[in-house]
Amino acid sequence: MSSVGDATTALTEELAARNDMIVCQGVSKWFGDFQALDSISAVIKEREVVVVLGPSGSGKSTWIRCINRLEVHQEGRIVIDGVELTNDLRNIEKIRSEVGMVFQQFNLFPHLTVLDNVTLAPIWVRKKPKREAEEIARSLLERVGIPEQAEKYPGQLSGGQQQRVAIARALAMEPRIMLFDEPTSALDPEMIKEVLDVMKELARSGMTMMVVTHEMGFAREVADRVIFMEEGQLVETGTPEHFFTNPTEDRTKLFLSQIL
Amino acid sequence: MAEMRPVDIAAASPASQTAEEAVSLPPEQPSTPPREWIRQNLFSTPFNSALTVVFGLLVLLTARGLLNFTFSEEREWDAVRTNLRLLFTHAYPEEQYVRIWVCVGTIAVLAGLSVGLAATTARGVSVKRLSSGLMALGAVVALGVVLREPSALSNADGSVRRNDSGVIRESFAEAMVDRWGWWLAAALLATAGAALWFRFGDERRRSTFVPSVELFMGVTAIVVLSAWVYPWGHYAFTDGEFIAEPGRTVAMSTKLPWTVMWLLLAVALAAGRRLRQAGAGSNFTLALNLCWLACPFVLYWVVLRDPDLDWDRVLSVDIPLGVLFAAGGAAVLWLLTDQRIGELGRIIAALLLGLAAFNWVAAFWGWYPMLQKVRLSFLLVALAALLAHNFAGDRSKRLRLLTVWAVVMAVFHYMATLMNSPSSVETPTEAFVGGFGVTLVVAAFTLLLSFPLGVMLALARTSKLPIFRVMSTSFIEVIRGVPLITVLIFFTIILNLFLPDGMEISVLASAVLGYTLFSAAYLAENVRGGLQSIRRGQFEASDAVGLTALQRTIFIVLPQSLRVSIPPLVGQAIATFKETSLLAVIGLFDVLRMANNVIPAQTEFLGVKREGLLFVCGVYWIFAYSMSKRSQRLEKQLGVGER
Repeated sequence: MSSVGDATTALTEELAARNDMIVCQGVSKWFGDFQALDSISAVIKEREVVVVLGPSGSGKSTWIRCINRLEVHQEGRIVIDGVELTNDLRNIEKIRSEVGMVFQQFNLFPHLTVLDNVTLAPIWVRKKPKREAEEIARSLLERVGIPEQAEKYPGQLSGGQQQRVAIARALAMEPRIMLFDEPTSALDPEMIKEVLDVMKELARSGMTMMVVTHEMGFAREVADRVIFMEEGQLVETGTPEHFFTNPTEDRTKLFLSQIL
Repeated sequence: MAEMRPVDIAAASPASQTAEEAVSLPPEQPSTPPREWIRQNLFSTPFNSALTVVFGLLVLLTARGLLNFTFSEEREWDAVRTNLRLLFTHAYPEEQYVRIWVCVGTIAVLAGLSVGLAATTARGVSVKRLSSGLMALGAVVALGVVLREPSALSNADGSVRRNDSGVIRESFAEAMVDRWGWWLAAALLATAGAALWFRFGDERRRSTFVPSVELFMGVTAIVVLSAWVYPWGHYAFTDGEFIAEPGRTVAMSTKLPWTVMWLLLAVALAAGRRLRQAGAGSNFTLALNLCWLACPFVLYWVVLRDPDLDWDRVLSVDIPLGVLFAAGGAAVLWLLTDQRIGELGRIIAALLLGLAAFNWVAAFWGWYPMLQKVRLSFLLVALAALLAHNFAGDRSKRLRLLTVWAVVMAVFHYMATLMNSPSSVETPTEAFVGGFGVTLVVAAFTLLLSFPLGVMLALARTSKLPIFRVMSTSFIEVIRGVPLITVLIFFTIILNLFLPDGMEISVLASAVLGYTLFSAAYLAENVRGGLQSIRRGQFEASDAVGLTALQRTIFIVLPQSLRVSIPPLVGQAIATFKETSLLAVIGLFDVLRMANNVIPAQTEFLGVKREGLLFVCGVYWIFAYSMSKRSQRLEKQLGVGER
């Protein structure tokens, strides 16, 4: 036990010095007999925007969901901003309040107004006074371009608006990292742009972002780095230029030829 | 402006919805003329025509049977009329009867304020429906007059005249003439309906609405007014004396209070509306809902029970104890809401809970004596301490928590003191409420107590902690496997044997306990159904924003799952309400026992049972039906925010 603890501390201190936000070392996960993640190792630095690409079923979503413990990895270690993800509930709570997440299906709370969706966690988790939380929420809604929808219910908004509320909800916790799990996959084509615009603005503001998406244009324009996954493995990683123009791996080439 | 208020869901959205509807109404369907409607719906094929005729006859025969039963000369409705007080409040003493009216009045005021404050979501009844309804009612009355068999002839002393073949009746023609009053009523209804119908054009008839509240107030106003002018008859049974004087108006002790009640309702309604227009609605609604929650307790223990306070004891024991717990608890809460305390705070809270639990354990072995309310106070301190960390934060937030705590303690100690004082109401039976009153008391308490218990059981059954799951599942399965009547008898007879020395529980309290546990088991299963309908994404989203499990349950899971389970929950509430008739079996004088045993035993009405039973059916039906109607409205309102 103690040796593991020591190793954790050592790793943690070493990483904190290097300003690494997300560190994965040999992360593996199985669903029953099926191996969803096969010893994934990657480091995401502060202010970096990483886009994860790959065919469906390649484990992209599983990986990103492991990072805030919506799924539990079975092997390897994940360190977020110097805190290792273990079964310790306090660590999980701490990490979750530092990491914002945006889902494919928005997952807004349908019984609360947009404003309440955004202020709920700041008030009850960050213990912010209500008025302050509402001020922040309104400025965030303005930032994502829907200040006039604050009093409506999610069911009364379009998909694109809902997803932008979801982004505002995640930002209201003032996270240091934002995770996007296929944020535009459930949207009608004409609404994809409005969500991507918000994400681009966010990336420019210096947020550390990890984005699972099928939007190649977004990856090319915004990403600092592209990671390609297949069958639970990291196949290739590199800058967008390298990735889209001059991929090294055959599997990457095949994938690109299918989608471009 | 935008707090988390479920009421606002109902308030905010439908208004905009109706506005939209006003803009684009669906194209008007030309109404089918009646003859065409009948042909299309009742006689479309020969087979359907046969069905219509056969079942129509069946309905008419049933109606005739019911009419003949109700209006038969052999019916002794005096048994019900003179015993109305007995049926509703049993033997509550005459000189204290004003307490009953205070209760009814309180409920009237609360109801009026609630309705007035609530945004009007429904448009009410359209003039078309109202006028056609009036005409139809007139037709039904006329049909009833024709259907009922001719009246029996009576002797000079009022008894029914008979010959060998049975009762002697007047001829059909004579009966039709004799019933001119009914004809008049039918004609009045039909004329009123027709007048309304033709006053409005085809277009306006459909688009003009009479609000339901106004309609209700109007109809009740007519009823109340009629008590002053129409000779309904003066019937009473007070101090063992029967009064039956058919030619007079209703007794002053009936019509005066009911008029006051109607006025209270009307004033409260107007006040509620005024408050809403002034924009004070939201704060007031919360206070009002708290009043609703408190009203069964206050009305029962303070108003109806009229506790006889021992002031020496109040000053020397009760008030100091209350102040002690308010201050001590406040100190603990202040400490625990300090942000620096961290994990230690939760440990302290858990230890307090252990102490509170130990006080109860000690009671069973009699290790140290302790007032029941002290034990409960310790428990409340521990529960508040467990929740305290949610209110950590700036000074004003912590002070607000302390204020709430002080209010809770004040209310709790006040109630506990009153409950410990003997009642000064003298009644022949142990429970001082009886008749329909005890039905309402038991139903109200059962619903109030079983609802939170049921929710907790459902949460425990879906909990990750095995100990909660096992406890909840076995409780639910045991209770559901035992008939209600068995549970009730068990609790009234055996419960006292299980209690520690010096603790006793009345029949009424143990009955409420039995009903509560039984109903909670069923409610738990209904709520569990709702819990399972919550999609996984909701859990993930609340985890992802960092809510704790408790916060997730309170803010995200319960509001959504309770909304889904409204229909089964209301079904269970209605079932509980009706099952209170089993109170008769365990020795309490509820309304059924009044009709079935007490009234038939009176010397004036020996063996008169049928009238009372029919009346009891009617009373139960009115309450159950309004609950079911109310729930339909609630469903509509709550369904709005979601889509």
